[in-house]
Amino acid sequence: MLCNEAIVRGALEADVKVYAGYPGSPTSEILDAFYEIGERMDVRTNISANEKVALETVAGAAMAGLRGMTSMKSVGLNVASDSFFTLGYTGVTAGLVLIVADDPNAHSSQSEQDGRFFGPSAYIPMLEPSDPTDAIQMVKYAFELSERHGVPVLIRTVTRVNQQSGIVQTGSLNRTPFKKVKWTHEPTRFITVADSARKFKANMLERTKRIAQEFEVSPFNRIDEPGSDTGIITSSAGYNYAVEACRILNTRPSILKLGTTYPLPKKLISDFIRPLKQVLIVEELSPYLELNVTALAKEANSQLKIFGKESGHLLEMLEYNTNIVSTALARVIGVKTPLDFDAILKRADALKEGLPVRPPTFCPGCPHRGTLTSMRLALRGIKHVQPTDIGCYSMAPLAPLFYGDTLLSMGASLGVAAGLQYSVEEPVIAMIGDSTFYHAGLPGLANAVNHKCNFKLIILDNSVTAMTGQQPNLGTVPQDDDASVQPLRLEEVLKGMGVTDITIIDAYDVKEAPKKLKEVFTRPGFSVIISRRICALYGDRIKRKKGQPIVPNQVDKNVCNKYYACIRDFNCPAFNVDEDGQAHISRDICDGCMVCTKLCPVSAIKTTGEPR
Amino acid sequence: MKDEFSVLICGVGGQGLVLVSNVIGNACAASNLRVITGEQHGLSQRSGAVSIHLRIGSDVRSPLIPVGMGDAIVSLEALETLRYIEYLKEDGLVLMNSRVAFPITDTVELVKKKNAKYFGREDVENRLKQVTANILSVDAFELARQAGNPLTENTVLLGAMSVFESFPVPPEALRESIAKTVPQKAKDANLKAFELGAKASHDRFCTLLPCRQI
Repeated sequence: MLCNEAIVRGALEADVKVYAGYPGSPTSEILDAFYEIGERMDVRTNISANEKVALETVAGAAMAGLRGMTSMKSVGLNVASDSFFTLGYTGVTAGLVLIVADDPNAHSSQSEQDGRFFGPSAYIPMLEPSDPTDAIQMVKYAFELSERHGVPVLIRTVTRVNQQSGIVQTGSLNRTPFKKVKWTHEPTRFITVADSARKFKANMLERTKRIAQEFEVSPFNRIDEPGSDTGIITSSAGYNYAVEACRILNTRPSILKLGTTYPLPKKLISDFIRPLKQVLIVEELSPYLELNVTALAKEANSQLKIFGKESGHLLEMLEYNTNIVSTALARVIGVKTPLDFDAILKRADALKEGLPVRPPTFCPGCPHRGTLTSMRLALRGIKHVQPTDIGCYSMAPLAPLFYGDTLLSMGASLGVAAGLQYSVEEPVIAMIGDSTFYHAGLPGLANAVNHKCNFKLIILDNSVTAMTGQQPNLGTVPQDDDASVQPLRLEEVLKGMGVTDITIIDAYDVKEAPKKLKEVFTRPGFSVIISRRICALYGDRIKRKKGQPIVPNQVDKNVCNKYYACIRDFNCPAFNVDEDGQAHISRDICDGCMVCTKLCPVSAIKTTGEPR
Repeated sequence: MKDEFSVLICGVGGQGLVLVSNVIGNACAASNLRVITGEQHGLSQRSGAVSIHLRIGSDVRSPLIPVGMGDAIVSLEALETLRYIEYLKEDGLVLMNSRVAFPITDTVELVKKKNAKYFGREDVENRLKQVTANILSVDAFELARQAGNPLTENTVLLGAMSVFESFPVPPEALRESIAKTVPQKAKDANLKAFELGAKASHDRFCTLLPCRQI
């Protein structure tokens, strides 16, 4: 079972009633699972506009008295943080659990943000699982803890925990039927103004003390191999690497595995370090545990040698693995690693000399490739500045296009564009996807309209949240006559917000769209272009469901004159060059979007006529 | 570390790596073998590099294979095999699809130059030979086609893996897992693909390494 699935299982065993979320790697499978089985399990499930709305949705449920859960990626909690901090004050009535997943190595995120600091900043208790078995237990406990202390509980994971799968012992699933509760009005129970905010703060501090006592004896904190004078303090994914490092080095230091990382079990940590001569702190990203252990050591064991990031044994960036932790531990205890990991990595680098990289790329049939082609044609010779946003189109600034100038956070293209249009001589063209627009672009749009900003906005409307697995968003028209949602219509939203200049283009129409774009780009004032076509992966899935064929293209070898417009300008991964140096299409991945046929100057590309 | 086995499965997005991992995972569960995998779902895109670390053994904890300690690389695309070479132990197994999917970024660079050549399968094999002699390069697409479904390349390579005595998952459990895990209409083709892969691997390795009877 994937850890993300174990998290869902734990929540279902805890009889969760309401789930809301916004997709984001590495947590998307949590949302996908609830979306798939929520109805069957009688969980009110919704894919929200953004993480803040999602947290508020489940907070509403938990204030009323129903158990709620939300999940988000690291930076999602930044968006939700405004309500998150205040929820620490007000607390909740029924269990409320928030899963936040950090991404050491920034595999699929814009930063390596360390979400552990949210726990202490908001006085919200935090648990950290190391594997799917931990996860299922911790989720169940978190609901109970949340209810007992009337406080939301944070479960913090990392990519290598979320996307780890293993064999998991599940508990019993005793779902009770969904039933509404009666609201109990208590004056200022959930209102934080003036005096009530100060009272909440005092309560919050008391509550944290009680939880700290509970965590001192929590079974989620445990000591492996007590009695050594060398120790390791670790949590999350770090624990897995530490255990294997000990095995590889054939050594048995005492390991304190921490599962409750806010409030920290200070007495337990102090007792653990008291008899030690040296300790290695194994935690990815920031030195959160290390700083706390260093502070505790002043009282508990001032002679203790503390190794970790400050000592230079481990990095404050990137994700760890067994060899990294082995190397650090070997240095601490003064032994050699059985393999020379550095030499292996060095040899591997030499062997890979010349091996082409395979960066993430737009899929065959991706509408963004068409839109970007039309933009390139329309903007030929026009210098401009292009703030972009978060989505599949965030790949445009990478090779081979290198198109795009700024990328901050969800919805930021609009705000940055507002500043750029004041500041730069060149025209400004912002780019955002439909899902990101609904997530965090609406305030930026209202701002641009109100201030009569002079920039252009192009909205790539592929009708789903594509990058995270094609989940529906607020504008998605459901395929199965789902009457529970009313899809927003983008042009109506824009009109309603006061946008007067709206142009709609077809992302695949690289013949006509550039002309339309050029007209818009040469007009002064604020204009919005909607480039529309559904995500190719989503479209393929619909086609397969309906039994519709996907018909790939081919290159006519008698016509191809090696002009390479299809490759050089279009960059579709279905293309390569054959032994004769002519363009060639891999039939098994060509999506048959036909855009390349419109770009070939000698019309060498035609349909095969045969479904793939 | 007896009875442990770590395999890195790699390829490009859309080749069915997760299915292979699920088939092995389910077969392990049915055979009372402890298994953990480290996957990477990240960006939902076709044609990007994808890898899964799969580890079997009662004491494994890390979802990532330690550098230099992988028993095998199973690669659904030739170039990707080399990308993870640091994980393979000395003389580890390499089971690779001979098919190459050239990254479009590489093709874009290639067409800019005169007389340039792709970094291809032979280049990969020459480099791999510096780490191990135990390489099987198999035309999985052709075998998948013979099996009746060109989408079963992943199962061809799983079959190739199944013949080794060092691979602790019983082939019978793998067959049962395939039958349960793949879409029902593709079941027969997948089972046939498994046998064809096993035969190719057996023919190559039965005199060199301890192999199961097939």
